[in-house]
Amino acid sequence: MAMNWKILLGGAVLVVPLVAVLASGFGSDPRGSSNALEGQRASDFALESLDGDRIALADLAGGPVVINFWATWCQPCLAEHPILLEGARRYKARGVTFLGVLYDDDAELARRYVGKHGAAFPTLLDPGNHVAIDYGVVGVPETFFLDQRGRVFKKHTGPLDFQTMVETLEILLSAETG
Amino acid sequence: MIGPLGHTLVLVGLAACTLGTVTGVVAGLRKHDGALRWTRWMAYIFAASMVGATGLMELALLTHDFSVAYVAEVGSRASPTWVSVVSLWSSLNGSILLWGLVLGVYIGLFAWKTRDRFPEHTPWALAVCMGVGVFFTFLIAGVANPFAPVSPVPADGPGPNALLQNHILMIIHPPTLYIGYVGMTVPFGMAAAALLAGRLDAAWSRALRRWTLIPWGALSFGIVLGGWWSYEVLGWGGWWAWDPVENASFLPWLTATAYLHSAMIMERREHLKGWTLSLVLSTFLLTILGTFMTRSGVFNSVHSFTQSPIGPVFLGFLGIAMVFSLVLLAARLDTLTRADKALPGPASREVMFLANNLLFASFELVVLFGTLWPLVNEALTDTQISVGAPYFDTMTAPIGLAIVFLMGVGPALPWGAASGQTLRERLLWPVLVGLAVAAVVGISGVRNPWIVLTLGTAAFALVVTLREMWEPAWGRSKALGESLPVAAGQVFVRARRRYGGYIVHLGVIFIAVAHPVATAYGEKEHLTFPVDQPREVLGYELTFLGSEWQEQPHRKSMVATFEVSEGSTFLGEMAPRLNHYKSMRQPIGTPVVKSGLDQDLYLSLVQVDEAAGTASLEVRVLPLVWWLWAGGILMLLGTIVAAWPSRRSSAAAARAPQAAQAAAGK
Repeated sequence: MAMNWKILLGGAVLVVPLVAVLASGFGSDPRGSSNALEGQRASDFALESLDGDRIALADLAGGPVVINFWATWCQPCLAEHPILLEGARRYKARGVTFLGVLYDDDAELARRYVGKHGAAFPTLLDPGNHVAIDYGVVGVPETFFLDQRGRVFKKHTGPLDFQTMVETLEILLSAETG
Repeated sequence: MIGPLGHTLVLVGLAACTLGTVTGVVAGLRKHDGALRWTRWMAYIFAASMVGATGLMELALLTHDFSVAYVAEVGSRASPTWVSVVSLWSSLNGSILLWGLVLGVYIGLFAWKTRDRFPEHTPWALAVCMGVGVFFTFLIAGVANPFAPVSPVPADGPGPNALLQNHILMIIHPPTLYIGYVGMTVPFGMAAAALLAGRLDAAWSRALRRWTLIPWGALSFGIVLGGWWSYEVLGWGGWWAWDPVENASFLPWLTATAYLHSAMIMERREHLKGWTLSLVLSTFLLTILGTFMTRSGVFNSVHSFTQSPIGPVFLGFLGIAMVFSLVLLAARLDTLTRADKALPGPASREVMFLANNLLFASFELVVLFGTLWPLVNEALTDTQISVGAPYFDTMTAPIGLAIVFLMGVGPALPWGAASGQTLRERLLWPVLVGLAVAAVVGISGVRNPWIVLTLGTAAFALVVTLREMWEPAWGRSKALGESLPVAAGQVFVRARRRYGGYIVHLGVIFIAVAHPVATAYGEKEHLTFPVDQPREVLGYELTFLGSEWQEQPHRKSMVATFEVSEGSTFLGEMAPRLNHYKSMRQPIGTPVVKSGLDQDLYLSLVQVDEAAGTASLEVRVLPLVWWLWAGGILMLLGTIVAAWPSRRSSAAAARAPQAAQAAAGK
């Protein structure tokens, strides 16, 4: 029985790395538990918004901040957008700041989307995803709730629902008054 | 009682598979009739044990026997009966049992259908299939045992995943996909058998194609059903997101589709045997890779089950199956490919099939690469990234378009080299129609060049497909003086395989048009409605009539009712809802869709503010979505037409081995 070495070697070149890559995935959890950040001081940043304003996290101290990483190519992000808009409108008077951070996306697409669907809060541009990396963003959408003193109170992975948002903010706000 | 009994049946299945693999190999090596008979019986016992075990699990689910681990995990006394039944595939261990059932039934059927045919190949095919069975029964009996005892026995369970309870399509989507996925085991066994036996004749090739066609049709339909379910249930107004698990079902579909086309060259010209068999082997390997993606917790996906210990076991099996296929190809391919003849000139159907295969192969690589890249990247750089829809859309759109184009050119060309004269005759009208459609679309204000190109190409392919269906009937009616319906019926019966293929092509054209158009021209508005105040949205008038809570044993739903009209036409009431399940914190919306031939009106409820008497709604208008589902149904229909057993072909297949033996001088 003559072995065809070309097939065998060619196949091995495909198969061995494939199995190695798949096996390398076992060690890590793709849902990226970043509970490590909770309770920690949120990493500071100063970024330009879609409208060209420069916004620094340090300037927002004193009230809770909601940071939402999103992208126009991410359907769940678009699905949660109305909820964030609603939240920004409702909680503005109570001192909560909502920020969007664009993740791996074209500013023009985001401008068009926000122009069409409304912008109750600024979306910041994060060239090179530096801020996203600082916050350990695995995929979008991810939403970070920061307390009055700029510490990460909670991280929400995946699209935010209305109830979770309201509950989280109420806890944060009652902690301030109480 | 059910638990131990079910587990025993699984062990019987494991024993039958192990024994059947051994006797199959013996029968293959020694050409031993007695060993082959044993192998068949082991296949039947395996099938029966899987049917029995699954039946027992259903019984346990329906009688709420919480002493059975799987029932304690997904059962609930509050679940309606249909939910209890489909709970079988709502979680990991139950779905592997379903895998075992489908595998058992396929192998049993294969043993039965080949009982007096193909004595040279059947033992090998059965041995390989039952070897796969050993792995799955081993999983069901051990790591993923759904029959494990629970102590103390809980009084009630949490019920299955809420998403699964939300829509009736969930009853058929997973089993259909499984019939497709698991069914690829039989072609794998058959291709391996051709290599092991060192012979691939016409009869075995035909049988191989038929056994691939059935799971291929189920896989096609299952994928479309998955999109449909996502559209009807998840409320984001989409059907395909290039999620790793969606890709997992698409990858084997691509190789299987490529195979179905290259099989035609192989059967007709004895070309590409190695390539064709590699496609069959890869298809099976990709189903295992896909299952690994869903079940291992290595990929991040909305579909995946939670982390489970079966990941490494699956990877081990994938590795073994890949090495087995590779060594087999390397060692035995040269015994098959001596008969290859040269291909005719470039303007021939053969070469179009070849081009089609290259396109499918590139499609495959693009999707595979995009799906695996996050893992590669993480292994190399230790950072996690996700590859999004933009990559897949950009890379696959041109390939998809080229495939639709070939769907027109291929069938229009004759087998063998075509003259310039023939080319002009066959292609002139379809090309003109395609250009005319593109021009009309362009003039009518569509500025997206991809859409113009797609519609023109689809029109071209459509004209060719319809002409290929129509011409033979017309020709026969004129030649024999039969009435057109009679002639059409006769032609259809005689060339069912070809007609089935064209029906599938029609379905693909539907999808190839509807998917890009609906994606590019869908519109969305988010609005808050006060009660009884009509508002104009995207060409419709919507009035919020009010909201109410509806209680069901397994869930509580907030239902908002809207009155909908378009212009002066009253379209009725639509009531999107938010369902609250015991097991989930966040509500799951059920959107409401009004489907039309031209466009869908799609309402998803975001939130109801009962105090203020308002409802927030996402309103989408999506063109041509209905054509996606129609395309899927056509693909299934075409497959059934092509695969339906005919008396002629069974007789031919039965004769083939005798003829082969006669030819071999036995």
